[in-house]
Amino acid sequence: MPECRHGFGDAGALVMEDCSVRSAATILASVREQEARFELLTRALEQERRHVALQLERAQQPGAGGGQSLPMAWQQLVLQEQSPGSQASLATMPEAPEVLEETVTVEEDPGTPTSHVSIVTSEDGTTRRTETKVTKTVKTVTTRTLRQVPVGPDGLPLLDGGPPLGPFTDGPLDRHFLLRGGGPAATLSRTCLGGGGGFPDEPRDVPGYGSLSRGLGVRPPRGGPPGPGPGDGCFTLPSRREAFPVGPGPEPGPPASRSQPERFQAEPYGLEDDARSLAADEEGAPELEPDYCTAARRRPDCGRGLRSRAYEDVVDDGGELMEERPPFPATAAPLAQPERGSLGSLERVVRRSPSADSARKEPRWRDPELPEVLAMLRHPVDPVKANAAAYLQHLCFENEAVKRRVRQLRGLPLLVALLDHPRAEVRRRACGALRNLSYGRDADNKAAIRDCGGVPALVRLLRAARDSEVRELVTGTLWNLSSYEPLKMVIIDHGLQTLTHEVIVPNSGWEPEPNEDSKPRDAEWTTVFKNTSGCLRNVSSDGAEARRRLRECEGLVDALLHALQSAVGRKDTDNKSVENCVCIVRNLSYHVHKEVPGAERYQEAEPGPPGGSGSAQRRSREDAGCFGGKKAKEEWFHQGKRDGEMDQNSDTLDLPKRTEAAKGFELLYQPEVVRLYLSLLTESRNFNTLEAAAGALQNLSAGNWVWATYIRAAVRKERGLPVLVELLQSETDKVVRAVAIALRNLSLDRRNKDLIGSYAMAELVRNVRSAQAPARPGVRLEEDTVVAVLNTIHEIVSDSLDNARSLLQARGVPALVALGASSQSVREAKAASHVLQTVWSYKELRSALQKDGWSKARFQSAAANARGPKAAPSPGGLDDSTLPLVEKSLDGEKPGGRDMIPMEALGPDGYSTMDRRERRPRGSDPAGETSEKEPLKPDPSRKAPPPGPSRPAVRLVDAVGDARPQPVDSWV
Amino acid sequence: MSYVPGQPVTAVVQRVEIHKLRQGENLILGFSIGGGIDQDPSQNPFSEDKTDKGIYVTRVSEGGPAEIAGLQIGDKIMQVNGWDMTMVTHDQARKRLTKRSEEVVRLLVTRQSLQKAVQQSMLS
Repeated sequence: MPECRHGFGDAGALVMEDCSVRSAATILASVREQEARFELLTRALEQERRHVALQLERAQQPGAGGGQSLPMAWQQLVLQEQSPGSQASLATMPEAPEVLEETVTVEEDPGTPTSHVSIVTSEDGTTRRTETKVTKTVKTVTTRTLRQVPVGPDGLPLLDGGPPLGPFTDGPLDRHFLLRGGGPAATLSRTCLGGGGGFPDEPRDVPGYGSLSRGLGVRPPRGGPPGPGPGDGCFTLPSRREAFPVGPGPEPGPPASRSQPERFQAEPYGLEDDARSLAADEEGAPELEPDYCTAARRRPDCGRGLRSRAYEDVVDDGGELMEERPPFPATAAPLAQPERGSLGSLERVVRRSPSADSARKEPRWRDPELPEVLAMLRHPVDPVKANAAAYLQHLCFENEAVKRRVRQLRGLPLLVALLDHPRAEVRRRACGALRNLSYGRDADNKAAIRDCGGVPALVRLLRAARDSEVRELVTGTLWNLSSYEPLKMVIIDHGLQTLTHEVIVPNSGWEPEPNEDSKPRDAEWTTVFKNTSGCLRNVSSDGAEARRRLRECEGLVDALLHALQSAVGRKDTDNKSVENCVCIVRNLSYHVHKEVPGAERYQEAEPGPPGGSGSAQRRSREDAGCFGGKKAKEEWFHQGKRDGEMDQNSDTLDLPKRTEAAKGFELLYQPEVVRLYLSLLTESRNFNTLEAAAGALQNLSAGNWVWATYIRAAVRKERGLPVLVELLQSETDKVVRAVAIALRNLSLDRRNKDLIGSYAMAELVRNVRSAQAPARPGVRLEEDTVVAVLNTIHEIVSDSLDNARSLLQARGVPALVALGASSQSVREAKAASHVLQTVWSYKELRSALQKDGWSKARFQSAAANARGPKAAPSPGGLDDSTLPLVEKSLDGEKPGGRDMIPMEALGPDGYSTMDRRERRPRGSDPAGETSEKEPLKPDPSRKAPPPGPSRPAVRLVDAVGDARPQPVDSWV
Repeated sequence: MSYVPGQPVTAVVQRVEIHKLRQGENLILGFSIGGGIDQDPSQNPFSEDKTDKGIYVTRVSEGGPAEIAGLQIGDKIMQVNGWDMTMVTHDQARKRLTKRSEEVVRLLVTRQSLQKAVQQSMLS
C-alpha cells in the first residue's frame, strides 16, 4: 500500500518556468489546446457569472464590516490570478487518493509519480517541448477561467450574464486591473459577500463546477451571521488562497494578519485540478482504459470521485465547518505566518525544487514547521485539524525522514485520536495521513500506531464509515500495517471479524444462505476489497495460529473461494484482488492435514517408501463414515489400484460423498477446489496468481491424509497434469518452482508418477538444461527452482525404472552431469548428483549408459564433487530436500516449535508453499517490510538461511547472490 | 534520467513509428522489452539510474520492423501511442505494444545520445 501524494500537478509549474525555452510554435500549439479546453469551461463559467450577477443585485447588505473587507476580497481574487505558475504548483497539493490505490495494485511500492515534459526532436532538427501529462495545459486554462470571472474586458466584473469573455485575458491584464484597485473590486467583493447570506443554493446548481463558486466564495461573510451558502466552498481552494505572490503594485489588501484565517480554511485541496483532469481525459485520449496508463488510471477515477465529493462538501461538511469557524481574526490559524509582512505562496511546500524557488524571487509564506503542523492537529477548529492532517499526509509522501520526525514528535497518537473525531472530514484526513505514515520499510511507525491503539481505532472507523473513500483509506492503512510481523496477530484479534463481514463477504458475492432462485452474485473487485484481501494475505502468513483463526473465521473461506470461482467464471483472473485471494487460500491450505480440527481422523498410515506404489498407501485407520462410508473408500482404492492398467481416458475417481455440503475451512481441501485452481492456472496471466494456485495444489497434495490422496487423484482426473506440465515452461521462475514442487507432491500417487514420468520429463530436463546453459542471458533459473526441478526428477525416477528410462531418452543425463560439474551452487550440484546416483542404481540401465560413453566414475565423481570442497559437511551427506517428501514433513514436525515457523523449517524447497514473506526470519530481517512489496520484487531476506546445521555457510553466500528474480524480457 | 518522485522529468525524446509485421496470426514489432515497475530495476543493464523502473528496449531483431523504424537497443520507451510507459508493469507495457487492433505503434523513446545532443546544442 503506497502513500498518496496530494496531486500531480508539477508539470504545470515547470512549464511556466521554462517558458523561455519554448518556441513560439509550441506556445501557439498550447494556446490552441487551451482554447479548446476553455470552451468546455465557458458554459459553466457563464452560469457562474449569472449567479454572481444575481447575488450582486440582491446584495444590498451594507454590513458593518463590509467596507473594510471589500478590497480584501478583490485582492484575493486578483492575486490568485496573478500567479498561474504558483497555482499550478500548488495544485500538487490536491489529494488524489485513487492514484495511490492504484499504485498499490500495480505494486506496493508507491512508484514514482512523475510527469514528463519532453523535448521532441523532429526530423527537421527543431526541438520542441511536449508533455506527456495532459493535465498541465488544462490547469492553466482553469486558472484563466478564474481570472475572468470577476473581470470583464473593461476591467469591470461581468454581472449581466453576458457572453463569456474572450478566452485569453492574460496575466498582465489582470495585474493591470489589480493596480486599478478599488472600483471593480468593491463591486465584486460585494457580490461574493452577498451570496453568503442570500442564496445558498445557487452554486450547487452548477454540476461539476464547484470550483468557480468556491473561488468566489473564498471570502466568508463577515459581520453577518455565517451561514451555508456559496461561502461553503471556500474551504476548497486553499491552494489558490495560499498562492499570493506579491503583486507588482501597491497592495490594496488589508493588513496581512487579517487574511490569515482564510488562508487556512483550506480544505480538500485543489479539487478543481482533478475535475479538470477529467476534462482532459475526455478530450485527450479517447481510448483510455483505466488499467493501462498511469494517466488514465489516475484521472477518470479521481476526477469523478473528487468531483462528487466536492459537491458533497458543499452540501454537508463545508457547511458545518463553516458554521463552526469562529469569527474572524480570533483564530488566526498558525500555519500562515507571513514573512516580512508580505504575501507569499506555499509553493515551496509543494515543490522543493530550488531552481523554481530561486526563479521566483518573491517573498512567500513561511512553510509551517512540522511541530506547528502537529500542534494544529489539536487546534480547536476542526477545519484546521483536517487541513493539518491533509498537509501531513502530503509531507509524509515518500519522505521517510518526515515520517520519522512525526513519530518522534508524537504525532501518531494525535492522528489516531482523530480517527474517532465526530467530523467525517477530520477522520478522513487523519486516516489519510496515517496511511502514508504507516507505509514504508520503517516498522517503528507501525509499532507506534499499534502502541496508541491504532488498529482498534481503524477497525472502529471501518465499521462506522459508509463512505467508500474512508473505507479505502482504512483498509489501505491496515494493509500497510499488516506487513509488520508483530502487528499481524493484533490485526487478527481486532479486525478479522470486521474485515471479513464488512468487506470480504459482501464484496465476494457469497451469500451464507443462497437464494435458490437467484443467480449467485459475482464478486466486486473494489479497492476496499483489494486492500482488505491484501491485508488478510499478509496476516495469513503469520503462522499456525493465524491460519487457524482465519480458517475458523465464519464465512471467510467460503467467501474467498466464491470470489475466486466468480473470477474464473468471468475470466477475470489477472487482477490483484484475485491474486490476494488465491494467496490467502494457499496460505490457509498450508498444513491443513495437521492443523484443521479433526485432521487426525483422516490421517493415513505412514506411506510407503517414496515412490511406493499407490496400492501401498494403506487405508486410513479411522472410520470412513464422514466421507461416504468404507465402501466408497475401498472402491476408490481399488480404483487406484486398477489405474495402473487403465488408460487415462477411463481414469475415474469416486469422490467421497458427503452427507452435507462442506463449508468453512473444509472447503479448502475438498477435491472440488482442484478444478478451481486448475482454472486459475489455465486462465490467469498474473504469475503471482499462478504461483499461488500451483502452491495451493502443492500444499493440498502434500499431506499424508486421505484428502491429499483425493486431491492427487482429482488433479489427474481433472486433467490437471498437462496444465501443470505446460507451466514448467513459464518464463517466471517462481511459477516453475511452485509447479515443479507440486508435481513432485502429486507423484506420490503412483499413477500420477507414471504419467508425470512420461509426459513431464522432457520439460523438466529442459529446465535443467537451461539452468546449466541459459538460452538467453538473464533467464537462468534461480537456485531454489533448479533444486526443486531436480528434486522432482529425483522423485519421479526413484522406484520407477520406466521413468528413469524416460530421463535417459530425454537426454537428461548429459544435462545433469553438466549442471553438476558447472553449477556454482552446492545444492544444485548435489541434487543433480543424487538424481544421477539414482539412475545409476538401475542395473538395467547401466549398459545403455555405458554404451553412451558414461562410466560409473562419472556418476560418482559428480556426487563426490558435490560433496567436495564446496560443501560443508552436512549430516547424512544429503541435501534435505532430496529426502522423501512426506518423511521430510514429519521431520519438520519433530523439533519443538518448528511447526510454528514452517517455511523456515522447510526451507525454500519445502514441500508446501506460503507467501514468501513467511520465510523471513522474524525480527532479524534487515530489509523489513517485505510484505509491502510484490513477491516478485527482489527480496533478499527470503533467502535467509533456515536454521539447522545442515545448511552450509557457503550456501548463504550463493543464495544471497542469486536472490534476485531474473529480469523478464518479452518479445513484442 | 534520474528523477525525484513527484517532480517533473525533462527528457529529450524521439518519435519512432513502427509498422507491425504480420507473421501468420501474429503482428510483430521485432524488439523485446525489459523493465517495468514490477521488475528489479537494478538489473537493467541499460538504465543510467539503477532505480529507473521504466521500460527499455533490450533487443532488436535484425531487419525487423523496429530496426527499420530506428529503434535501438537501450532506448527507454516513454510512451506508446500516447500511453505513458514510465509507470507501468512489464506486462502492461507488453500488452500495450501488442494490441492486435493496432497495426502501427508510435513510440516516444529517449536515449542518452539524444539527451547529449540536445544539451550540446543548447550550450553552443
